[in-house]
Order: sequence, then C-alpha cells, then structure tokens
Amino acid sequence: MWLDRIIENINYIGAIALFVIGLRIVVTHSNLIKRIMGINIMGTGVFLFFVAIGNVTGGVPPIVNPEVEDQLFINPIPSVLILTGIVVVVSITVYSLSLVVKIYENYKTIDQKELSKLISEENNEH
Amino acid sequence: MNIEQLPIINLLLFLLMALVIPLLKRKPFKITLILGFVVLGLVLISSGYLLWYVNNVEVIHYTFGGHEARFGIEFIVDPFSALFTTIIAGLAAIIYIYSSGDATEGIEKTEYGRYYVLLFILLMSMFGILYTNDLFNTYVFIEILSITTCAIISIKKKKDTYTSAFRYVMMNELGSLSYLFGVALIYMATGFTNITLISESIQNAYASYPVNIIVALGFMIIGLGIKAAIFPFHIWLPDAHSAAPSTSSAILSAIVIKVYILVLVKVLFRVFKLDILNEMNISTILLVLAGVAMIMGSVFAIAQKDVKRMLGYSSVAQMGYILLGIGLLSFEGLRAAFFHILSHGLMKTALFLSVGEIIYYKKTRKVNDFDGMGFIMPVAMGVFSIAALGMIGIPLTSGFISKLNLGVAVLDQNQIIFLVILIVSSLLNVIYYLPIIILAFLKNEKYRYRLKSIEPTPRTMIAPLVLLGVLIVVVGLFPNQIMIFIEAAANSLLP
Repeated sequence: MWLDRIIENINYIGAIALFVIGLRIVVTHSNLIKRIMGINIMGTGVFLFFVAIGNVTGGVPPIVNPEVEDQLFINPIPSVLILTGIVVVVSITVYSLSLVVKIYENYKTIDQKELSKLISEENNEH
Repeated sequence: MNIEQLPIINLLLFLLMALVIPLLKRKPFKITLILGFVVLGLVLISSGYLLWYVNNVEVIHYTFGGHEARFGIEFIVDPFSALFTTIIAGLAAIIYIYSSGDATEGIEKTEYGRYYVLLFILLMSMFGILYTNDLFNTYVFIEILSITTCAIISIKKKKDTYTSAFRYVMMNELGSLSYLFGVALIYMATGFTNITLISESIQNAYASYPVNIIVALGFMIIGLGIKAAIFPFHIWLPDAHSAAPSTSSAILSAIVIKVYILVLVKVLFRVFKLDILNEMNISTILLVLAGVAMIMGSVFAIAQKDVKRMLGYSSVAQMGYILLGIGLLSFEGLRAAFFHILSHGLMKTALFLSVGEIIYYKKTRKVNDFDGMGFIMPVAMGVFSIAALGMIGIPLTSGFISKLNLGVAVLDQNQIIFLVILIVSSLLNVIYYLPIIILAFLKNEKYRYRLKSIEPTPRTMIAPLVLLGVLIVVVGLFPNQIMIFIEAAANSLLP
C-alpha cells in the first residue's frame, strides 16, 4: 500500500529530496563552487516540482493532432513557467561564478573558512 | 495615449534609459546624467498622476497582449502600488541628484555608465514588483532585482566587496527559491498564479489541501524574510550594505529591502487573506520575529565601530518596526507600517548620504573620528542629526509620527508587551545615535572652529541633503496630507 503511494508521488519525493540536498550543500559546504552547485540542485528540485504538477497520467504533449480526437494533454503552463526559471538560475550561476573568479584572483583561495581567516587577519592589521 | 498604458510606459522608460547609456559612451557624461534625470522626473510625474488618478477615479487593470488574466500577466495600479511607486521614484530622484555630484565613492570613472545602467534596471524591477498581479511574474522581477543589487554592491573594484556580494547572492538565491517553492505549492492547490484568482479559490483549497497552503505560507514568509533582512536571516545585510558605495547603500537600505516586505504584505493580505492567517496564528509568529529584530538589531548596532555597519544593523531593527505593524494584521498596524516605510526611507537615505559625504571628503568611516565633525561639515552633520533624532523618535520629525502610530496600533490590539519593546528599542537607538551627534557638535579639540575650515562641497550634494532634512521635518509636522494616501493603500489591502 505505502509502496504504491511512493510510486504514485515519486516526482514530488524526488523534488523535495533534491531541494533538501541542495540546501544542505549550500549551508554546510565551505567550498564556494560547491555552494553554487548546491543552489543549482535546489533550483532543479523546485523545477521538477513545478513540472510534476503539470503532469497528467496518460497525457501527451500539448500539440494538437488533427487526426486524433479527444486527446488528453498535460498542462503546459508549468513547463513554460519553468523555462523562465531555468534562464534565471543560469544567469545567477554565471554571475556568482564570475564573483568566485574575482575572489580567487584576490585571495588565492575559494574556501570559505580560509577566506574568513584571511579577511579577519586583514581587519586586524588596520 | 491611454491612461492604462502609463505604468507600462514607466517601466519602458527605465529600460530604454538603461539601453541608451552604453550608446552614449563617447559623448560627455553630462548628457547621460541630464537624460537620466529627465527620465526620473517623467516617471515621478507619471506615478504622482497615477496616485491621484487611482485615489479619485478608479483602479487601473492592464492585461498584456489582451489575454485574459488567467492566461496572461496582469498589472494592477491601485492605491497601494501607486503610493509606493511614487515614494520609490521620489527617493530615487533625490539619491540620483546626489550621486551626480561626483560622490559615487570608490567607483572608477569608466564604471560610471555601468553603475547607472544597473540603477535604472533596479528601479524598473522594483516598479514591476509593485505593479504586477501575478506571483510568478513577481518572482522574475525579484530575480532581476537581486542580480542588479548584487552587481551594484560588487561594482567597486575592492577585495571585500566580492566576498560580501557572494554571500548576498547565496542568501538571496535561497530566498528566491523558497519563494518559488511556495508559488509552486499554491499553484498545485489552486491552479492559478494570478493573485486575484488565487484569492477567490484559496478558501476552498485550504479546506481540501491544508498542508499545501500551510507549507506554502511558511516557505514564502522565510524566503521573503531572508530578502527583507528580518532578524534571524539578516546576516548578509551589514556586510553588503557597508561594502557598497554610499549612494547604493542608500538605495539598498531605504528602498530595496522595503520592496521585499511589500511583496510579503501582498502575499499575506491579497493571497492568503485574513481568515487563513488568523486560523494559523501567523500574527504571533510575525510579532515575535519583529520583537526580537527590534531589540537585537539595536544591540548589534551599539557594538559597531564602522558607521556604515552601524547604519546597516539599525536597518535590521527598523525592519522589525515595520514587521510589527504588519504582524498586528489590523488597519492601524498596516497604516503605521506603511508610514514607517516612508519615514524610514527618508531618514535612512539622509543618514547614508550625509555619512557618504563625510566618507568622501574625510576618508574615514570610524564612529570615533566623527568628533568635531559638525565644525567642518555643518550641513552633512546637521542633516545627519535631524535624521538620527528622527530614528530615535523625537517629536517634530517623521520618526515620531510613525512610532506614535505604531504605539496606538499596538495598544489597539492589547499587546502591551510590544509597547515596552518599542520603547526599549527607542532607548537603545539613543545609545548609539546621540553620542555621535553630541561629540560632533560639542567636542572640538581636533578642529578649531574657523569659517574657512568648512569643506567646500558641490551644490548637487548639498541640495538633496537639505531637501531630505526639510522633508523629514515637514512629514513630521503635517502627516495628515500623506496619511490620506496611506490609509487608502491600507484599505485596498483589507476587505
């Protein structure tokens, strides 16, 4: 019984799992690039959730075929919304990666712990 | 031209201006500045006209491409969005005049154009957030806003700005994705992203899928709370706001974080409605967050030695005041919160700009170096004092009126404990603002009082400061004129 429920809702469970994994990476890892990856995984989770909402069991992509009558379409709106969402997350990723490049040029490290150490040393010198 | 198209034209003007600036690269920079000022002036006039129109004639609905609201994107101009777009345009115009006076501290000459491109896209996205009536469209505008704010923070080619911008972008993205997750859950339960249509069906959705709605509300409050720097999620704010150039700190602290809290207001009062909020007892959660923010923000501010970090923490405390007004979920509370958004916008802009002028000429940002500053920069320090007294809540300033309104609202709901917190927080404000004022004007060991010791500052920097100082006092003396519009805005949110 519970196995059926899991299979029925596998998309949602996967989405939540991706969201939580991403969140954990962002919060706990000290490597800046891994944190950007975490944001991406989190984003993917949300996108999967959105697309899963639009899924209709047995539905086909909403392209009207004049030869077949009474077609069951999936809901295309979430997929369209997510197209925008993907573009947004890509631009955020690009921007934060460029920041990481600048940070590496200036501090020669991309580790958050070493960075905070370097910054606090600099502040003490002044 | 149709009046309905006016909000779209506002957005287009900003976007076109941002496009034109790179094209004018080879012309003298003055042309860009004047053109930008004309654009801001036009938008200010048109949003002022819209404010009059929606309050006296009718609310404007505009659907893009003529698609009906459930398929397309809808813009609504009502007393709420018209009021705050006018406030944003006004504050932005003042900050713009100041920044044209060569005071964009720490930015290289060649980067000026890029700074203004970012500024206009930032304003465009804030107008979009306020006008739009669609949750997903709000998300898109929020992301434009967060990228441009991060870019404006990291525009200074200095080491520490990169790390604070990185932290800001990470926190912001956590907030945006949480918000988007909330939108997904609401879409799942109701099938709409349009706010009006959601609010019609949210009661039924709550009856059949309570978990969806509760989780969505939680995600949205946390997501927008991170972006609006509500207390436990404020850690990015002091770094980011102190690393940015002074003019952008003014924009970030006075306008940008307010926009996020206005989105939260929209989500709470337009999407979820009072019945669901009361049933879930959201009021208590928001009030506790607000109370903690009011005390802790001020306590952290006392410990700061860097004046811009101090102002950043002070913003955290002030966001607590605004959240307190919203958390009461009553007409009086909303009125007080909206008035405080205006008066804190004026005071924080004045504080950051006057501090910016002092940093620009004296190259110091230590609180201790402000001793005797009143003798060499009397205008900047005078405006600083007016704004700081407003923050404390001295009568004759706009800060007093907003604290009075907050107190009335709190007593109206019988939450005496929050009146005590309000007073304690005001006293804590006294601890960190008053010594700066007293030492700046009374302790002159360092600088002998001479007329020629007064720094010559360009008029474009002095004029906006004086204007802000006058506005703070005028709003404090005659709050009733603006209160009509604020009450209309609060009424449009409550049934």
